[in-house]
Amino acid sequence: MLREPSRNAEAGRLSTKSFPIRGRSDVVTVSSHAGRLARELGLDARRAMELAIVVSELASNIVKHGVRGEIVLTFDDHWPPQGEITVEAHDVGPPIRDLALAMIDGNDDQGPIDPALILRRGGLGTGLGAVARLADRVEYRDEEDGSKTITARFHRR
Amino acid sequence: MAQTDVPHVSVASERLQLVIEALSYASVDEFDSCLSLLQRSNEKDEFSELETAFSIFVRELGEAKAELNRALTQQEAANRELEAKLETIEMQQAAIRELSTPIIEVWAGVLCLPVVGVVDSQRSAEMTETLLETIVAKQARMAIVDITGIDVMDTKTADHFIKMARAVRLLGAECIVSGINPGIAQTLTHIGVDLTGVRTLRSLRDALQLYLRETEQLVVQQKSHFARRESEI
Ligand SMILES: Nc1ncnc2c1ncn2[C@@H]1O[C@H](COP(=O)(O)OP(=O)(O)O)[C@@H](O)[C@H]1O
Ligand SMILES: [Mg+2]
Repeated sequence: MLREPSRNAEAGRLSTKSFPIRGRSDVVTVSSHAGRLARELGLDARRAMELAIVVSELASNIVKHGVRGEIVLTFDDHWPPQGEITVEAHDVGPPIRDLALAMIDGNDDQGPIDPALILRRGGLGTGLGAVARLADRVEYRDEEDGSKTITARFHRR
Repeated sequence: MAQTDVPHVSVASERLQLVIEALSYASVDEFDSCLSLLQRSNEKDEFSELETAFSIFVRELGEAKAELNRALTQQEAANRELEAKLETIEMQQAAIRELSTPIIEVWAGVLCLPVVGVVDSQRSAEMTETLLETIVAKQARMAIVDITGIDVMDTKTADHFIKMARAVRLLGAECIVSGINPGIAQTLTHIGVDLTGVRTLRSLRDALQLYLRETEQLVVQQKSHFARRESEI
């Protein structure tokens, strides 16, 4: 199952794969694809699954809160494993008003979610928290054109 | 009857040789080389009629072959397209399987929820909601959540999962979580989840067997209860 990435790929040359997120089936597709890719790129099974979860959270947020988004995976397929795998979630919807606030479990970007609403709103408000827990590093960028990008990084040790 | 009665054609052996060579080109689909050999001699005699006939035949054969190849190429392209479409459909089917959380009623009042794929917070919320609703709708006595297929969950997601298992009990049913593997066990202990009120078993098979044993006991108890009542009467 494990494919050894091409040995002769030049070091430092990054590959990217992008996946448009148009609906919920895209969330599943991109996350399982990302998990498989992470395995091929040398992450262990647990870490690869954690990456798949992060991709799933970011992609489902695009469906739920964002507008016209995509997930871009960037990696170095040089062998042996080196560098990192980055997951960029990009969409053109409104910015996240307060990221630090939104990252707290049980919060949306304006503060705590009313517990009575949690079941009905679909989602626990813990997605970005999971991203922060599982990724090695998370960055957020508001782009000049009004879109935004969340980047989660996974080191390949 | 004698051979001498029949008119003969005499032909130089090189011309004959040329025709044989030409046909051998045709046999390996090299129609252009074949034709140029057949047209090499300028003689106009009876044998040249045969050469001309061969030429026409070979030209037609060449055209038919080319047509066939074009058709084959088109067919291959169509096949490739079909393959790609099938692959997309398979991917979408896998996605649908994962998205929909099937709740199976294995016996009357016993629900089984097999969980596969990536469980993120969103799915966890949906699954638990669906399970609780189904328990009420079916008046289930027991729910078995089988997570054999899951190795990794975020701590908050796992926490929510266990909370759901406890909520099942509040609805008057029992919840068994089967197939907890070392990865999840580690996550649960790491966050210090309170597992009271939640039964865990190694496998779905163990869970089903437990259910069978308990219902059997119940039947035995009921029987002996009735037997006592009868003897009292
Ligand atoms: N792509 C996005 N576009 C706009 N807002 C977002 C996006 N992703 C996350 N958010 C904001 O961050 C909050 C927290 O996200 P998350 O932790 O995944 O919880 P949930 O998705 O359950 O609301 C969301 O409620 C939303 O306000
Ligand atoms: Mg979310």
